[in-house]
Amino acid sequence: MSWIAVGLKKDVPPGIVIPSRLADTELAVWCAPSGSYHAWSDRCPHRGMRLSHGFVRGNTLACIYHGWQYNEAGSCDYIPAHPKLTPPDTICVPTYSCTEAGGVIWVSLEATDQPLPELGGRVPVRSVPIALSAENVAAHFGAGSAPTVAVVSDHDTVLALQPCTDTLTMAHVLASPDADPKAVSRWVEDLRATLEGVPA
Amino acid sequence: MNTAIENHWYPVAMISGIDGPRETLLLGKKITLGRKDGTCWVKDATGKALPTVERFGHLWTSPGQPNRDLFTIPEADSPGRRLVDVGSVKVKCSPLRAVENFLDIAHFPFVHTDILGAEPHTEVDRYDVKIREEVDEVWATKVKFYQPQAAKSAAGGITTEYMYRVPAPTCSVLYKTCPPRPGEWDIITLFVQPLTDEWCEVWPWMALYDDESTMSEMVSFQQLIFMQDRSILENQIPRKLPLDPGMEVPTQADMTSVAYRRWLKKIGYTYGAQLVAA
Repeated sequence: MSWIAVGLKKDVPPGIVIPSRLADTELAVWCAPSGSYHAWSDRCPHRGMRLSHGFVRGNTLACIYHGWQYNEAGSCDYIPAHPKLTPPDTICVPTYSCTEAGGVIWVSLEATDQPLPELGGRVPVRSVPIALSAENVAAHFGAGSAPTVAVVSDHDTVLALQPCTDTLTMAHVLASPDADPKAVSRWVEDLRATLEGVPA
Repeated sequence: MNTAIENHWYPVAMISGIDGPRETLLLGKKITLGRKDGTCWVKDATGKALPTVERFGHLWTSPGQPNRDLFTIPEADSPGRRLVDVGSVKVKCSPLRAVENFLDIAHFPFVHTDILGAEPHTEVDRYDVKIREEVDEVWATKVKFYQPQAAKSAAGGITTEYMYRVPAPTCSVLYKTCPPRPGEWDIITLFVQPLTDEWCEVWPWMALYDDESTMSEMVSFQQLIFMQDRSILENQIPRKLPLDPGMEVPTQADMTSVAYRRWLKKIGYTYGAQLVAA
């Protein structure tokens, strides 16, 4: 299992949680004040509420429904309805491997010893949703069957592809630090229109 | 036909809001309702007339043969109360999730912040819960919680006492400290119409002592509260209510919800319920 991009560092600063997904796995991706990134199952074990609606407090992610706080290991360490209680270790959220590199937040749903994708010094520009499967987006560039990163000759860009559903891919776009971000941004808008078969 | 589900009374309309024949869903099936010469009627998809009751400002019906009358709330008849039709809100969740949320107080500081609750007043003390076998209802009593703005009529923060009653699988009645009359209970209900097992129409209704607020102020207050609840209800996974232990983790504060789930299982009420971990 390889690393897949789920967002850009600049869009998820410390103290922020966002919803994301990899195929059937819905994720809450958040950044602790320490700067470390986490990708968890998007479900509080208490009453099933989406943790991506929650809030970061200290180095914990809290559920918006009852304020249960989960530490960076995913274990519940505070239940506001019972402030004196030490929650049992069994109350925890499934967590996934998550790290930030090159301004991109990477997730692996399974333990992996694979290296992070090589970005060749390119820097993040923006993320764009494309209403196609990741395979179909990659095929447009002649990339392999299960790509996570496609190197594209246009503007010397890298597309880190996040397969959200069978009909939705998030393309995280990186380009040379010397490239004009507006030109790259316009190019990816055109690409999206071409792939989706709609007028730009 | 599952009589454990169909032989109950269900709210399907606010009587004051019925201006002509209209279609709606009950337990996933189309029904038509209307009012003629001051009397409400309901028909199923085949045109067969269904039984009706007009009570608490709402029209109730049943697709089956209810083996008991629609519950009553005798306290609501006492003079001086103002009866408030709050309207309706459609929510994409199991009708049982909507009821369970209504029975929960621990979410007040986080979902109804600075209204029904506020940090650091988050602790939920032990309260009493039981299934009253003689009436086959779930009751929670001696529930206490600090509230910054317990009702439209409240002048400031108070510790509010609650009693919850579940007289039917998709209905709950709350008896709550009345800010202007400390010796009396305000009554706030949640009547839930199961449109399908994952979609419901919620009809809150209230019988309050409040001589100051306008009707629209009281309606707005309750609608604000329920809109806050809806943001939770439409984001719980799964949409159905898990009745078997294991899929969700209750604590002592959730005793009412635990009893509600047990009672639903005991009476075989599985519409909108998830019975095995998915």
